Amino acid sequence: MDILIAVTREMFAPTTAAFALAAIGLNFHFGLTGLLNMGHAGFMLLGMYGYAITVREGGGMWLGLVVAVLLAIGFALLLGWPTLKLRGDYLAIVTIAAAEFVRFLGRSSVMKNITGGSTGIRGTDFKEPFESLSPFPDALITIGPWQLHGSASTSWWLVLVSWTMVAIFAWVFWMLAKSPWGRVLKGIREDEDAVRSLGKNVYAYKMQALVIGGVLGALGGILWSFGNAVSPDSMGRPTTFWIWTLLLLGGAATVFGPILGSVIFWAAIVLVKQLAALLIPETIMSTTAREPFALILVGVTLMLLVIFRPQGILGNRRELAING
Amino acid sequence: MTTTIDRRVIMRAIVVFLLAATAITLVSVMLSDSAQATDVATHVVSADTSSDDASTGATSNTADNILWLQSLVNGLAFGTLLALASVGLSLIYGTTGLSNFAHGEQVSFGAVLTYFLVTPQDVSIPLIPVSFNIGLPLLVGAAIGIAVSAGTGWLQDKFLWAPLRRRGVATVQQMIVSIGLSLALLNFIQWWIGGGRIGLTTSSGKAIDFGPFTLTDTTLISLAIALVCLGGVSWFLLKTRLGRATRAVSDNPALASASGIQVSKIIRLVWIISAGLAGLGGILLALYEGGTAFDAGARLLMLMFAAVTLGGLGQAFGALVGSLVIGVVVEMSTLWLPADLKIAVALVVLILVLLVRPQGILGRAERVG
Repeated sequence: MDILIAVTREMFAPTTAAFALAAIGLNFHFGLTGLLNMGHAGFMLLGMYGYAITVREGGGMWLGLVVAVLLAIGFALLLGWPTLKLRGDYLAIVTIAAAEFVRFLGRSSVMKNITGGSTGIRGTDFKEPFESLSPFPDALITIGPWQLHGSASTSWWLVLVSWTMVAIFAWVFWMLAKSPWGRVLKGIREDEDAVRSLGKNVYAYKMQALVIGGVLGALGGILWSFGNAVSPDSMGRPTTFWIWTLLLLGGAATVFGPILGSVIFWAAIVLVKQLAALLIPETIMSTTAREPFALILVGVTLMLLVIFRPQGILGNRRELAING
Repeated sequence: MTTTIDRRVIMRAIVVFLLAATAITLVSVMLSDSAQATDVATHVVSADTSSDDASTGATSNTADNILWLQSLVNGLAFGTLLALASVGLSLIYGTTGLSNFAHGEQVSFGAVLTYFLVTPQDVSIPLIPVSFNIGLPLLVGAAIGIAVSAGTGWLQDKFLWAPLRRRGVATVQQMIVSIGLSLALLNFIQWWIGGGRIGLTTSSGKAIDFGPFTLTDTTLISLAIALVCLGGVSWFLLKTRLGRATRAVSDNPALASASGIQVSKIIRLVWIISAGLAGLGGILLALYEGGTAFDAGARLLMLMFAAVTLGGLGQAFGALVGSLVIGVVVEMSTLWLPADLKIAVALVVLILVLLVRPQGILGRAERVG
């Protein structure tokens, strides 16, 4: 019973929503346009740095959001400029390198006064403006079997805001994907040269997709940091790979794929860890081994998905052939 | 594939190297200014950035060592060891078109397996609740480690990559499979060996003074082994029938197949060699750096990609040159920048190379988009 509560709680947790939002961003890149962005965690990290540093320096919440969005746009333009003309795997290597560069720079001792070095930025430095907007009381609230705080950190307030944002951007994705603009993107994914021969500026379209997806990644990063803190080492390569796994699990190029994928992914990780704790004795699998064990399953899931069901749960096989 | 390293190639390498050095100097000047402005006490030799001559070596620990020369030697040593890992990555890319993201874990695996075999402490295997003590001598352990590493290459190709190629799975799809594999292996190794830092030997080697620079005897022996192996691979690629066949597959698999080369066997061989070299590289790097960890290879992966891209994707000798350049750039960067920005510098080089010359130093000019 406790397991069930923990699993369902994870399903609507703000972290799940943050990853769903970031995955919607990746869906613009990969699902619609076929761009292999392997540095999505870099966008998330830039977003949370932009927001948290602005707020810490007294810039206020809205300015923080603007700075985060601008950083993401700048990063996307910088990344896209040299690489969008190159073959798919070059973009993959450059994005992963750039994301790691952001992380290494952020956690280096040179930047300690700005980004807080490897320890990052504590929640108390930047969460206050957002939490003070909360209409909920400043105490633990129990709804059904779940208990969360009203407004601090992983709170009902954050749950409400983050899932509202996911809903809004899922709708935006749906509207854009069925618009003429979205059809051009899908055309680029299927056959770049054909679209080019129709007189479309493929490079500009790819860049627009990269920017929009990157901004969503940054927003997802901000939501994530509200539930946790700004920590560069949580936004390394594995994070990008988790987003890929959950996007492919739910189904790329679909509206609800990223959301369903995120819910299943995080629920499954909690389920595996809890079941391992319950069923496998301590002598065989120690407490510290449960996390790696769950993540091994993530890696294996990613492999099996790509090999046997690249369209995921909701996708259409004919629509989505991964061919770079 | 270029068989001879001609003068033009060397000129190109020097140009890229100078570009990278200029970029690093620029970045470091900017960073050191901001560092002084924010009054961060770093261990950077920031005094040197004002003068063009960095060879004053005022902060060197041993008085007679010239700082930049020591860094250069360290860089060449590190680059040689890195080359062991990146040559395999490049060979796999050349023959199959796969950017293998799980190659870093191959490197960790070699080192961790050797630790498992040689450590005098109690060790255990995941899911088996018995801890035991193996404690083999280092040489025997390393030999078994390399052999098993090479075996994993065979195993991977036989049961994973060859079936995928037969199904006609696109290389981009295979790349994502390798990412999944890397995630699974990384966490498996963490589960197996834990999150802490582990040392293959207890001694850190005896320092030998060469006048202007110092190296430990462990490093010298590692370098000798690495050079012999790299020479062996070069000899294999250039002089033997199988090596020529490998280069033919690299050049044009369809044509190679049509001229009677068994492409799938060549690829199997390449996987075995690459995984074995990666294992050896992991062991030697663990000795060189005085320890290893479950994510040692994952940290190196971006350096390997930088080296391979710099040399030209799929060019085995390019990976060699690229590794040396990356090793030197990374080590020399510590003269101006704090050591925790080492890898970031290599990533900047990688991005710059893709901007200026996406086909790398040794790659032929061709359309890659």
